[in-house]
Amino acid sequence: MTGVVVLIALALIGAVRVVLRTRRRRDASPRQPTTLPAASWLGDAGLVASREIRERVRGRIFRVGTLLILAVVAGAIVIPTLIHSTPQPERVGVVGALPAALRSTMATAAKSVGTTVHIVDEHDAAAARAQLRSGRLDLVVVDGTVLVVNQPISSTDTSTTAQFVAATARSLGVARALADAHLSPAQSSALAQARPLPVHSLQAGNAKSKVNTTAVVGLILTFLMLTQYNTWILMGVMEEKSSRVIEVLLAAIRPIQLLSGKVLGIGLVAFGQAALVVAVALVLGAAVGSDLLHGSAPLVLVSTLVWLVLGYAFYCWVYAAAGSMAERQDQVQSLALPLTLPILFGYVAAITAASTGDASTLLKVLGYLPPTAPFAMPVLVGLSAVTWWQFMASAAISVVCTVGVARVATSVYRRAILRTGRRVRLREAFARAG
Amino acid sequence: MSGSTEGPDSSAGGLLQLEGLCRRFGALTALDNLTFSVPSGQVVGFLGPNGAGKTTTMRAVFGLTDLDAGTVRWNGQPVGQADRRRFGYMPEERGLYPAMQVGEQLEYLGRLHGMASGDARRAGEEWLERLGIAERLQDKVEELSHGNQQRVQLAAALLHGPDLLVLDEPLAGLDPSGIDTIGRVLVEQARSGCCVLFSSHQLDQVEDLCESVAIIDHGRLVVDGRVDDLATSGPRRLVVRIEGDRDGMWARHLGGVTISEVAGGEVRLVLDDTVDSDAVLRAAMAAGTVTEFVFARRRLSEVFREALA
Repeated sequence: MTGVVVLIALALIGAVRVVLRTRRRRDASPRQPTTLPAASWLGDAGLVASREIRERVRGRIFRVGTLLILAVVAGAIVIPTLIHSTPQPERVGVVGALPAALRSTMATAAKSVGTTVHIVDEHDAAAARAQLRSGRLDLVVVDGTVLVVNQPISSTDTSTTAQFVAATARSLGVARALADAHLSPAQSSALAQARPLPVHSLQAGNAKSKVNTTAVVGLILTFLMLTQYNTWILMGVMEEKSSRVIEVLLAAIRPIQLLSGKVLGIGLVAFGQAALVVAVALVLGAAVGSDLLHGSAPLVLVSTLVWLVLGYAFYCWVYAAAGSMAERQDQVQSLALPLTLPILFGYVAAITAASTGDASTLLKVLGYLPPTAPFAMPVLVGLSAVTWWQFMASAAISVVCTVGVARVATSVYRRAILRTGRRVRLREAFARAG
Repeated sequence: MSGSTEGPDSSAGGLLQLEGLCRRFGALTALDNLTFSVPSGQVVGFLGPNGAGKTTTMRAVFGLTDLDAGTVRWNGQPVGQADRRRFGYMPEERGLYPAMQVGEQLEYLGRLHGMASGDARRAGEEWLERLGIAERLQDKVEELSHGNQQRVQLAAALLHGPDLLVLDEPLAGLDPSGIDTIGRVLVEQARSGCCVLFSSHQLDQVEDLCESVAIIDHGRLVVDGRVDDLATSGPRRLVVRIEGDRDGMWARHLGGVTISEVAGGEVRLVLDDTVDSDAVLRAAMAAGTVTEFVFARRRLSEVFREALA
């Protein structure tokens, strides 16, 4: 799992390098190659990155934000297990005789609605009613023929007790009908053990219930991380512009070095945080017996991490370019909103699919578009709706687009970052871009 | 440069040449075929009215603005990234990370200029010491006064021992002691073989600090030369002071005489070749009691004003 993430990170560094080489070739003066050490770009970008990491991790925003994400993810893991936690056994009071066969019929009925049964023998009907009224019993069976509950059960009641009572009433009724039909014990037993026939569907099945938690936790994580860290990039770039430190920095290093250092530094902080969140999620999931890691869940988790890297790599450049066009909070609003739309759209589409278990055509299309793939692809993986080569194709499309976006963004950044005063207009930023 | 001995002396003898720089922003021409050079060992003052193109020129040295034409050369070669690391820059709009500690910030900037971590830290401390703010090492930049932020900014331009210093308005907004401190540092840097180019509107200070000046207007060079040569060139100048006279009205109608400056009762006159100074003295005596009557050098402010006239 970590190996895949590392591989992708290396691929991204490679992509940055390609962009940078072409740029360096363009900038290079004749005698530069001898005076500039070959690795110095990584040195500068590394310096920028290490400053970013140091300053960010120190900040209160980071610590509070990490706790917040951990709380949300923990909630997403723990709450479903609380809702689906093993219910209390149904307490049944038995008055008069109840054959062992009917007792096991009751246990089967309880199992069919996801609970267990605890049978208490009561001396007489009055005592049983008293227990029922006080709530110590859920159901009383008199002589195996009459069922008594405290409150009437409405037909729309979906509580476990209501389902259990209905199932018991049905089973005992069937058992009685069988007894009335005077079947041989062997025939009765065969009928009692009747099981529903399996139902086959034409479409491939999905392990929906097993995927849900993992996919949803993954989506929340991806959404929070992409939003938070892209905002950091946006604000970080904008702050360097508004504090004018940018001019001092760019007098010493190239825009691409500064930008890739910033993106790398914030990216590493993001992945440190993601690793922490995933580790906590795994430990917590194991502790509360969540279905986080059953079925295709590990695959979903890996693809979530892969797409977190790819999604970050794609969006970080766009946000950096946007940040370079503004120097005040109010200028950035109109830029940031259109950028968050694809994130929101992808998130909503993916989370809908994850909860309905339906890999719609829309989701499949979104899975190949770099802006929405980080949300759509992991869900498609969870729904077993993609093959490995489709996954790789989508990843490849994303990497190629990322390189393109990085080039355009660097050009916009270079153009806009030193223009102060009013917000740089898109047309100006793209005027001679590329 | 690369293979030879490294050290403060190896940087001596640099030469910055600006050749035919042109830069247009839409309809505005910021630089118009601007050419001049900055030799090492001198403090060169870079003057011009607001909007003349000084900041654009300085940004061009660091590749911070695209040029439509022209080349910036360092020691005869077009300036590259490796050269720029050996330059120090103090932009017009000061810029440091507000929430970062002074010491850490200087170390970071030093490292971006290729220094090792320890060297950058030591150099930062030394410069803060020399600029008189050693005790602010641990403070955040935003906690410092304007003047002290400016000192930190200067330290940031200096700490890697640059071969070329480009300072945009380094004296603006400083108190007299700050001006003295920074002025002393600039002269020291020039004496140790650094090229120093700085812009300023405080012409008196420029006159005190600079060996040479370059004056530009509308992106064009209008005057370029040694301050001494400029001061002694041109027509004769008289400084006349008459008791009770504040505005030099008496000299208004003298033929061949123009009033160059009137300040604090001191009237500076520019004399044509044809004018006899005795005639001026007689006119002055007729106007009142003459307390001062001397030939003077051309002031930089006069050079400036006459160049732009």
